Amino acid sequence: MKEAKIGVFLSDCGGELAKILNFDAITSFVKQLSSVTLVAKGNEFWRGEGLKTITDAVKTKKINRVVVAETLPKLSEVSIVKAAEKAGLNPYLVEVIDLKDHCGWPHRDTPSEATEKAKAMLLAAIERAKLLEPIDKVEFPAVKSVLVIGGGIAGMQAAEDLADLGFKVHLVEKTPFLGGLAARAGRFFPTDDCAICIQSPASDVKTVTHTSRKCVYRSGFSEIPNLNIMTNSKVVNVEGVPGNYKITVEKKPRYVNETKCVGCDLCATVCPVEVPDEYNAKLKKRKAIYMNLPAVYPPVYVIDESICKFHECAKCVKICPTKAVELDQKSEKITLNVGGIIIATGFQEYDPSVIKEYHYGEYPDIITNLELARMIDSFGPTGGKIVRPSTKEPAKRIVIVQCVGSRDRRWNPWCSSICCMISLKHATLIKSAHPDADVTICYIDIRTTGREHEYYYERARDMGVKFVKGRPAEISHDPEANLLIVDVEDEILHRLLELEADLVVLATSMVPSEDAKELAKILSVELDQDGFFKEYNAKLRPTETKLKGVFLCGGATFPKDAPTTSLHAHSAAVKAAKFLSAEKIVKDQRTAVVNEDYCGDCEFCPVTCPYGAISLVSNDKEHFVAQVSDLLCEGCGICVGTCPLNAIELRHSRSNQMSAQMKGLLSVNGTAKPLILALCCSECGHAAVDSSGMAMMQYPANVRVMKVPCTGILRVEQFLEAFKAGAQGVMVVGCKNDGCHYEVGSQKAQKKVDLAKVLLKEYGIEPERLEMFHMVFIEGDKFAEAAQMMTEKLEKLGPLQLM
Amino acid sequence: MTSYALFLGCTIPARQPHYEASARKALTRLGIGLVDLDNMTCCAPPPLQSIDTETSLAIAAHNICVAEQADLDIVTLCTGCFESLAMANNLLKENPKLKARVNEILSNAGEEFKGTKEVKHYLKVLIEDIGLERLKKNVTKDLSSLKVASFSGCHLLRPSALLKFDDPERPHVFDDLIEALGAKSIWYRNKLKCCGGLLRGYADDVALAIARDKIINTTKAGADCIVTLCPFCFLTLDLGQMLIKSTYKEEYNIPVVHYSELLSLALGIDPKELAIDFHKVRLDRILGKIT
Amino acid sequence: MEGESRMEHEKERETSEATFTDEIRRRLGGETIALCYQCGTCASSCPVAKVTERYNPRDVIRLSLLEQKKEVLSGSAIWLCSSCYNCQERCPQKVEIADVIYALRNIAIEEGYIPNIYSEFANGLMNEGRIVPISKFVEKKRPEYGLPQLRTAGLAALKKILATTGFDKIQWKKEGP
Repeated sequence: MKEAKIGVFLSDCGGELAKILNFDAITSFVKQLSSVTLVAKGNEFWRGEGLKTITDAVKTKKINRVVVAETLPKLSEVSIVKAAEKAGLNPYLVEVIDLKDHCGWPHRDTPSEATEKAKAMLLAAIERAKLLEPIDKVEFPAVKSVLVIGGGIAGMQAAEDLADLGFKVHLVEKTPFLGGLAARAGRFFPTDDCAICIQSPASDVKTVTHTSRKCVYRSGFSEIPNLNIMTNSKVVNVEGVPGNYKITVEKKPRYVNETKCVGCDLCATVCPVEVPDEYNAKLKKRKAIYMNLPAVYPPVYVIDESICKFHECAKCVKICPTKAVELDQKSEKITLNVGGIIIATGFQEYDPSVIKEYHYGEYPDIITNLELARMIDSFGPTGGKIVRPSTKEPAKRIVIVQCVGSRDRRWNPWCSSICCMISLKHATLIKSAHPDADVTICYIDIRTTGREHEYYYERARDMGVKFVKGRPAEISHDPEANLLIVDVEDEILHRLLELEADLVVLATSMVPSEDAKELAKILSVELDQDGFFKEYNAKLRPTETKLKGVFLCGGATFPKDAPTTSLHAHSAAVKAAKFLSAEKIVKDQRTAVVNEDYCGDCEFCPVTCPYGAISLVSNDKEHFVAQVSDLLCEGCGICVGTCPLNAIELRHSRSNQMSAQMKGLLSVNGTAKPLILALCCSECGHAAVDSSGMAMMQYPANVRVMKVPCTGILRVEQFLEAFKAGAQGVMVVGCKNDGCHYEVGSQKAQKKVDLAKVLLKEYGIEPERLEMFHMVFIEGDKFAEAAQMMTEKLEKLGPLQLM
Repeated sequence: MTSYALFLGCTIPARQPHYEASARKALTRLGIGLVDLDNMTCCAPPPLQSIDTETSLAIAAHNICVAEQADLDIVTLCTGCFESLAMANNLLKENPKLKARVNEILSNAGEEFKGTKEVKHYLKVLIEDIGLERLKKNVTKDLSSLKVASFSGCHLLRPSALLKFDDPERPHVFDDLIEALGAKSIWYRNKLKCCGGLLRGYADDVALAIARDKIINTTKAGADCIVTLCPFCFLTLDLGQMLIKSTYKEEYNIPVVHYSELLSLALGIDPKELAIDFHKVRLDRILGKIT
Repeated sequence: MEGESRMEHEKERETSEATFTDEIRRRLGGETIALCYQCGTCASSCPVAKVTERYNPRDVIRLSLLEQKKEVLSGSAIWLCSSCYNCQERCPQKVEIADVIYALRNIAIEEGYIPNIYSEFANGLMNEGRIVPISKFVEKKRPEYGLPQLRTAGLAALKKILATTGFDKIQWKKEGP
């Protein structure tokens, strides 16, 4: 590597900082440091003339490393690095530090101490700059194609967006028809419009369909040329890397040729096999060859292979006028090459039979909301009539029970979010069609939080729907009168009621789709504690997972209503588009790198990496070593903190670079107080230091701040090293335990701090000299308080006695 | 056959010798060994738990210690005793902190709860040690015309997490054991609901109202008798009918028998040996149907 | 809060009396009371609430959580639970309602609210080791029914246990609700 020629640029922030720090002393200090070939002082260096000073120095090759003391480095660094790169310097050879918010402002009452600290900060930056290495960007191929798993409204919407944008989209749906839960739900609240109405595609297709929204089957959705719809298909295997996945899809045979079927229903009329129709809540029967109504897509019959008699019967084959029935179709395995994956597998209704006091499954007149939806749907099994399954007579007294299995720590502790509105929808639809029906809703709380939802609730009351605030204890059956009896306390009246009902509807909990577990395994995606697919961060990175290239949308992450699903789907489509539109993924190699000679194949790092970026491979010496994928590595360094053999390092935060910084920061004291090294994570911890300075909170200058990517990178030896280098105390400042930007880093750091404390005790060093703190950016006051508190504590303990 | 430490509790020896007699005779006839131990005390049922739960746990644990010393599992007749002892046994086995706390108390009495023994209700012994098939074979009488309203009471089943006896919402063990004797166990409204027995002595009117509900429901369903397991349930429903007569002026005359009595009769034991004069509602109705 | 700094106020809270809810939670059986979200399942499961307005388990929990200590402890409601455990089986928040009632009764007795019948139980226990005394009449009839002589009760061990837990020091009042 070429010898370092470091240019040091000192900004006095428009002259203000010079009122506190002695820039002359600082400048002469820096000038006499080795490898420093240029020192400049000015008002600002991140734009204008100041920036030109830097780029000129780079262009004339006077310097090959840049150290800048500038205001708001997290902001100014961007333009300095960009300009330096344009001038020909590798962007990773630039180091920007903050003498204002980390030195001048918080120590303005002790300017000479601040000046000494500034010297130490510059020394640290310069020593680090000497050890910096150029880091290049790498390009990975990205196929401009996306796999969408799940053909409900979320999947369809995301697929449509991406297809409109010119991506090749494969929409894979495990059932024979698209539509998911929406197709069965009938109508959506709060507008009570058709559930299967979606936005029309923006492409050429729109000129034919003419409107902004239509039922799925006539929206032209299926006619988008680069959209490949595969129904009756399941994803069975996923290989490859983000940007370049190889997907194996198993397509089950439909036994009916999609290009020939005209939907005449003759096959169904002659089919001798009949089973209860699960799609229609088993309220009617269907044949082995069937089509769900309303069929959204494709409008083609399908044979249920588990009950069909095939060639023993073949009546459908004989009668089909277009010879569309093909009993010899086989399962196909299809391979797809895609760049990104969107999971849109939705949710399903919980089976309430486990809640034995409600007797679902035992008494036929107890049904779920989805089953009621089928009855209300005029395409449904009862032609839109609300009947008692036991007698097929109209149901006059209907009781709807909320929170069945939801908000229940025995079953599903979460609130399923949409059931209150669904029940209100059903209640009002029933009342509209049958004004003489008696509908009562038993609830714990009514949750109508969305836009216009409260008016929906008002309307229900206006229409005469009754409400009982109380959760029923039991639903029993009177066999003589064939009546259901709901035991419930009307809490507001303070009266125990025994409601008589013809029909009881259970607003059952919404749970993850039954395939979620299997799919999560195939894709290596995490599920949360409730079994739903885990979004990386609902506020900051919605619809993303921890895995690059794999996105989520719709009910698969948590039950949601149609407008929210729509938003979520559009979001996932945009994320996938951003990821793949350049047809390449550009990443910098500020990633972890393994020293194969040291690696002991202990498997700690592959297991610890939150992003699955590390795998074990066999090297030429025929033993296994860890290998880091530059594509998947997020540069957090948690692997580095985990490795017991120091066999893995993070580029740009190598051990020697960190050691040099540490030593530099602790080299000069200048105060009468004990030196403290504060190791702060670049996400929350370091930002808290920024904010304390920005707010001009005061803390003593013996506190020296060092930035690390994530506190998870820290090793126990580094704490001990800090003490040896002159620290009297060490603070580790990271994100809150449940808010680490790299998932687990801050928790791991806490464990290491706890372990280090045990070791310190063994060495005869007071364990309280090392502490971990958790704070976020807006808790700058916490940092100042902690720094103050540590200083006082260390002053009480007296100087460190190292053995 | 296995031997068990027989835990009688307070109420049965105090007032219900018919329960004890029928249980001893039937179980012995079926080959189950019953050992009487010294040093047992009250099991610490709800009335004591109401005063102090910690003391009650310690008292229950003490009784289990006595059995542990004799290396015997415990069998109880009263379901209240079953609840108290089995709950304590399982709670202390599962919760080391609680076990340590109770053992600290017991150490003053020179005892230590080890958690080596089981507490069973005699129904469990019948199911597990004898089994339904063998039980059927031992029945010598014909009970096929007898319609039984089975009422196990609350504490055979609940709290289910600690008692682990049967499904609290769909229990079947008791009914299976009744039908193994040849009788029919019928459905009636609110079969699993409490009889209110524990309120006697504090709020007799409330207890009576609850008992009356049960008598009405069983009668309405056409039961020939009510079969119980708990001496409190027995008292509430048997003596209760006398009180219902005087308070509500209603007469139901539905006999109440403990399962052990029905079992004894089905096995062919002479009713004269069973102290049946301790029943307030005469048993003629059912004796006629056991042939 | 006027005139007190935030720090001072917080210190005050630490040393002052715990709330009634805290008191209940510290008792064996009372740990789960604050989970209650007042759904009313317990009330409609309760055999006692079904026949009388004098008792409603949801009310008892509500009053306790609203810190109405005197009303709860001095009232008759807490003594009307029949310990059937139906509520505890069905509670969707797994509140151990029946056990909470025991905890409330325990506290009530400590504070001197003791129904007569419980004094009787306690005295029976302390004197004979049984809460229901054996009637001489029945005891004499035992041989008639082929029943063996009753074994001696473990009074010695019992007395030591009662002394350790302080049970024997409770002031057994003759009055009470």
